[in-house]
Amino acid sequence: MTAPLAAPRAGQVLLEARGIGKSFPGVRALDNVDLTIRSGEVHALTGENGSGKSTLSRVIAGVHQPDAGQILIDGAPVALASPAEAIARGIVMISQELTLAPTLSVAENIFMGRLPRTRLGTVDWPRLERDAEAALARLDVHVSPLARVSDLGLELQQEVEIARALSTEARLLILDEATSSLSEAATRRLLSLVAQERDKGMAILMITHRMPEIYAVSSVATVLRDGHLISTVPIPDTTEDQLVQQMVGREIGDYYAKRDIPAGEIVLEIADLHAHDGSFHPTSLTVRRGEILGVAGLAGSGKAELAQALGGAIPARGLVQVAGQPLRLGHPGRAIAAGIGYVPDDRKGAAILPVRNISENFSVAWTDLLARWGILSLRKQDREVGEAIHTYGVVAASPDVMISTLSGGNQQKVVLGRIFRKAPDVLVLNEPTRGVDVGAKSEIYRMLQDAAEAGAAVIVISSELPEILGIADRIAVFFEGRFTAEFNRGEADEEALAHAAVTGERRLAPPQDHRAHSMTAGEIDQ
Amino acid sequence: MTATAAKASPKRPGPGRSLSRLLQSRYAGALISLLVISVFLYFYQPVFLTWPNLMNIVKSNSVAFILALGTTFIVISGSVDLSFGSATTAAAMIFGLLLSAGLPLPFAILGAIVAGALLGAINGALVSYARISFFVVTLGTLSVFQSAALIMNDGGSISVFSQPGFKALNTFVNGSVGSVPIILIVDLVLLLIAGFVLRFTAFGRALYAIGSNPEAARLNGINVKLILFLVFVISGLTAGLASVVQVGRLTVASPEVDMNLLLTVLAAVLIGGTAMTGGEGGVLGTLIGILFLGVVQNGLTLTGVSSFWQGALSGGILIFSVWLGTMRGMLRSRKQAQLD
Repeated sequence: MTAPLAAPRAGQVLLEARGIGKSFPGVRALDNVDLTIRSGEVHALTGENGSGKSTLSRVIAGVHQPDAGQILIDGAPVALASPAEAIARGIVMISQELTLAPTLSVAENIFMGRLPRTRLGTVDWPRLERDAEAALARLDVHVSPLARVSDLGLELQQEVEIARALSTEARLLILDEATSSLSEAATRRLLSLVAQERDKGMAILMITHRMPEIYAVSSVATVLRDGHLISTVPIPDTTEDQLVQQMVGREIGDYYAKRDIPAGEIVLEIADLHAHDGSFHPTSLTVRRGEILGVAGLAGSGKAELAQALGGAIPARGLVQVAGQPLRLGHPGRAIAAGIGYVPDDRKGAAILPVRNISENFSVAWTDLLARWGILSLRKQDREVGEAIHTYGVVAASPDVMISTLSGGNQQKVVLGRIFRKAPDVLVLNEPTRGVDVGAKSEIYRMLQDAAEAGAAVIVISSELPEILGIADRIAVFFEGRFTAEFNRGEADEEALAHAAVTGERRLAPPQDHRAHSMTAGEIDQ
Repeated sequence: MTATAAKASPKRPGPGRSLSRLLQSRYAGALISLLVISVFLYFYQPVFLTWPNLMNIVKSNSVAFILALGTTFIVISGSVDLSFGSATTAAAMIFGLLLSAGLPLPFAILGAIVAGALLGAINGALVSYARISFFVVTLGTLSVFQSAALIMNDGGSISVFSQPGFKALNTFVNGSVGSVPIILIVDLVLLLIAGFVLRFTAFGRALYAIGSNPEAARLNGINVKLILFLVFVISGLTAGLASVVQVGRLTVASPEVDMNLLLTVLAAVLIGGTAMTGGEGGVLGTLIGILFLGVVQNGLTLTGVSSFWQGALSGGILIFSVWLGTMRGMLRSRKQAQLD
């Protein structure tokens, strides 16, 4: 099954995993998987969620111990019984789950466990600050080393995590979907840094299902599916389509499967909406039924706060009308009652009920549907949940399974499904496919087009430009708290969006085949 | 995670599965220990398994049980109420004062319950609307309510023995229908109501949601503040009700707070598998927790061990059983990993 590389690339073999097998309750996560990582090379490890790529990376990082197989470093077999042992051998992992201490400073987090000492053995604070500043400057991140981590946004926190990993004496850096909460610009910065470290001789194992990242820096890719090694292929000699096909085991025709949905009447009207804290300035726009509005912008541009304001999650001022009815802002319950379905970007922190099962994670949003006089009908709940699991393609052994045991894609289907099922007039989706694999993404795009077809106005706030370009009828770009540029479908390409996100200027993409909708005339406040 | 996972079916488990489910549940450790200790006591002191002795256990633990129901609600929502013991004492003093003022028993009981609910509402308002940490609030009111109880009758206790309502109260607390104590019936009815509220009402499900992830609950339209306020009111309600039972049993309303009550009640809730971190647990576990501690206490009395040992034992059992729960969870996931 393995297609070995024709010629040894880059440097020496640093780490070799042979015949790795690993099982978890109910699941054979890895079965006889081989992987060879060389110094001075970026090795992409890819596959759908549940393919075993995260498990494999955790075995290499000492988090999990394999049931079968062997790991060799510099040709000698090693047993990595804990992350500490892996770190001692120069294997450092940055995972998608943040591992920062939120109440400590950025500097303390970067040098956690290895704080610089004075001769007396106390912490050398001035040096700590200097070193942290240097580590952050390398990443081109502008944040004070003395800032409290909990005061930073998700993206900056991820950058602190990256700064920590890069400030160690790492020989092998594992990036486990480390870019999933980064904006395009931050991702680009990280990738150029990865390239730099690669050229200096570091080995990098990059777990991702984002094609542009794979092609940007890696020279070899390993594809896993259902815990099996499918292939190890050279990049860029293998095409994107070939990779995706190997990941899913079938051909995905059009990834976004964008449909032509006729826009109906205006259902959402926003006039002079602005946040109390100034995170976004007075904004006006309208969205029609059946329309998918993509909202792009850098992290910190205010796009996420606009979504939160619409969902009632944060206080805001201004006028929001849903189907002609004014909405009282700042209360999630009122937003829901008015017909706004809001899905936050922080799945773990703000969307799922981690210690409850799938059933309850659906029904937490359905009380009005399932309860009469405050008393729930469990029979109705079972029926509704069963239907929703089927409709949204949630893969799980039973509705009684704890949600935290599901893959990110399946958790997200539950989070989206519980909102979609209530058929709200307006859907506000903040990063709806963050940390979700290719197959689940495709299904989520289908879900939100189904909702648009059923008459909902859909707003997709996303940091992934290809996603916005692929799915939106109209694109609004947020820059420094305002909408500064708007594009109809086909008018923008990735470069035009990135340009608008960084400068606020609207510059059209060179014309290509596009199917711009004539009815998507929304107003944008300059 | 992989293709081996089947599509879900919405079926409920059958009776066979519910037995294995019971054994795997969070309070299985407490249940099994309860059975083991009961069997041991039966062989050691056969009087243990006589009806009067069992009913004695029920009666002497009713106050703790009623309070533990309210505490279970609180802990599921992710909070803790440290003040329920003081609230019970303050409500008991009010109850005593109302009875000695000549109020008929039903009104006096109502008065005690309303008083308890008001004390709970103070906690709830401070936690929920003034956004002060529940720990700070209830530590503060623990002391405030205790003072209030002392102030009410200038530090003196109130004997209700000679009051006209006492006879009815005594029947309520100590009486029986046939050989079944009325208080047992009251306890069971309260258990059923609490279980029903937790499992079948929107309010109950909201408690679990808030305990599990308050932000997710809020974004899904749950009025988190109102529900947190109400859960403290419920805790106060149980304190009011418990105060009536306590005064009935002691025949006197005393301004002294029984500090053992705090440990017993919280220990029972935690032994019963309700997680301190919120979002998990239930009242059936709490019942088992209370019975467990009650049987241990009863066993000490029957075997003639000094009652000084009781606190050490209860505290030790608490730590041990919560540790057992953690170990069991770890062992189970490890064993299942090996099975595949």
